[in-house]
Amino acid sequence: MKISTRSRYGLRLMIQLAGSNGKRLVPLREIAETQQISGKYLSRLVIQLRRNRLIRAGRGTNGGYTLTSKHVLIAFLILGGLTATSYGSSRLFYLEAQAVASYANSAGENEIFWYSMMPGDPMQKPSIGFDLLQRFSGEGGDWGILAIQARVSYDTSRRYDLEPQLYNAYFKLKTGPGDFWLGHNKPSFGFSSYLDNHGTLLQPLSMYGFGYDRDWGAGYYRDFESGNLALSATTGSGMPLYLRGNYMLSGRVSKGDLNQQNYNLGLSASSGKNLEAMGYHLMPMDPTPTAMIGTDAILLSNRWENRLEFIWSRKTWNYPQNQYVSDYVIFHRLTANLLDENRLKLEVQNRWMLGEWGNGMLTLAGSYQITADLALRSMVEIDDENTRVIAQLYWYHKI
Amino acid sequence: MKQIFLTILAVLALGTSLFAAVGCDLNDPDKDVKRLFPGSTGYKTEYVSISQKGGDSLLVKIEQRLGDKFQGLFETGDVPYTMYRVFRKKELLGYIHGVNQKGQYGGIQVFLVLDTAGVIKTLYFQKLTSKAASNLRRPSFGKQFAGLTLQDFYKYDVVSGKENGADRITAIKNPSAEAASDFMAALRAVKKNLILVDEFLLGNRYLKYYRPN
Repeated sequence: MKISTRSRYGLRLMIQLAGSNGKRLVPLREIAETQQISGKYLSRLVIQLRRNRLIRAGRGTNGGYTLTSKHVLIAFLILGGLTATSYGSSRLFYLEAQAVASYANSAGENEIFWYSMMPGDPMQKPSIGFDLLQRFSGEGGDWGILAIQARVSYDTSRRYDLEPQLYNAYFKLKTGPGDFWLGHNKPSFGFSSYLDNHGTLLQPLSMYGFGYDRDWGAGYYRDFESGNLALSATTGSGMPLYLRGNYMLSGRVSKGDLNQQNYNLGLSASSGKNLEAMGYHLMPMDPTPTAMIGTDAILLSNRWENRLEFIWSRKTWNYPQNQYVSDYVIFHRLTANLLDENRLKLEVQNRWMLGEWGNGMLTLAGSYQITADLALRSMVEIDDENTRVIAQLYWYHKI
Repeated sequence: MKQIFLTILAVLALGTSLFAAVGCDLNDPDKDVKRLFPGSTGYKTEYVSISQKGGDSLLVKIEQRLGDKFQGLFETGDVPYTMYRVFRKKELLGYIHGVNQKGQYGGIQVFLVLDTAGVIKTLYFQKLTSKAASNLRRPSFGKQFAGLTLQDFYKYDVVSGKENGADRITAIKNPSAEAASDFMAALRAVKKNLILVDEFLLGNRYLKYYRPN
């Protein structure tokens, strides 16, 4: 891991302040002597740390500096501990942190929230986390991959509590006939099954009630010369793991290699008895017989990306007795990749739901990659009743 | 609690000048390795970065060998380069390695297929969305690189596009005049790629041919 000199000295300074246990203010001269850092450099550093409210200053003959909160340091050291074990050429390890805020206008009332979607949804909240990919190899090459992606988020729907969240948590075994995975992964249905939406504000249809972003179970994947086949048998409970007679069988077959031919066309089907869950919170219902059929397409051309998806879904509710509810949804996302190295992305996403719960949603989104690690994203979401503006600062750093 | 999260983020933001982490993997390695190395039975993936192996001093040496500065999101010291060693059972057949390179419409990804001595067998564009540059994907374009090594590319100046010597690089024909910027970017990407493979996999066997200007 490469840490900038400024960050390293800042951390050393904060560790020394923590050592004083908040009982006294530590003069800058004392820090400079202990840490062997020039006073001039330190004086610039403390200005930055004070600006970020990590330390505070006291004036007078016994003046100096102390930490604003020991919790900040504890959290930082936990991150440091994680990074210390991350070296290795067969492993990728990333740290992640994000700040999210949204401003909503609903029925004439304005409110500020600390999440990007609904309070119970797992996607984006202020959080810290990590993303691990570990490969296993023998003399003849790779034979397995372990992927773990987890966060601790600040969840306002749980009385300002912290919520641990698990996204990827699977082991993939590579064999001649294809790859098999076991654990918590994307079920094989639609555009959502191969889109990396982990840190993004803009979300696919799996986050709007059409399937699950992640589910517990097993799956199979095989590439063909032009296209691939993906199958999965999962619990149909989404982010949490529950076994109450619920299950979901899914499959997607595609034509076209997105990387070589700049297009991919997919056909998906899914059937099972699903549990209704919002994020990690289960709804008090029995498993619901659910069937879905969908088709999706991606086309890349110059700076443009076009994504189109259509899904038909039918759910059979027990109450009222055996009532069928059919929904049809059309999804379109247009992306413009702008500036050098595609630093700026502008996107328009439309979602039209027809049927029993018909509505429409227009989303305008922008993302600017400030550095390779840090992205600033924003989104305006307009539906029949609400308008919301969402902002996110997202940090993703390889160790 | 909210303040703690925001403060942590602010602390982390202190380190964002680190500039890291735009890697370049094969998107479908099982399929791609079989296609690029017919007869192969497996591959082993390794991640390496300049900062991990040698830090800033190594970055400077690599820039000197390239004859240009590393810049932007794609060329930081922390970029995790993904190296594929390709096997037939336990026999090493060669290597595949890709780099990101700034192209006309954002980034292009250029993979080299090399034998165990670092000689190019062919090259493969993974990401290339420019319609005008689609001819660069043709096998006939990739074949022009077969047999070339870093020794040849040392004579090629990636900034001016000129070659001092045998003209083996400037003899490579651009199949699409409208895609001149992507063509130039591809040549720079190939030289950068060869230097990184030499540094990370071949034990710098081509360093002896490097002649500083």
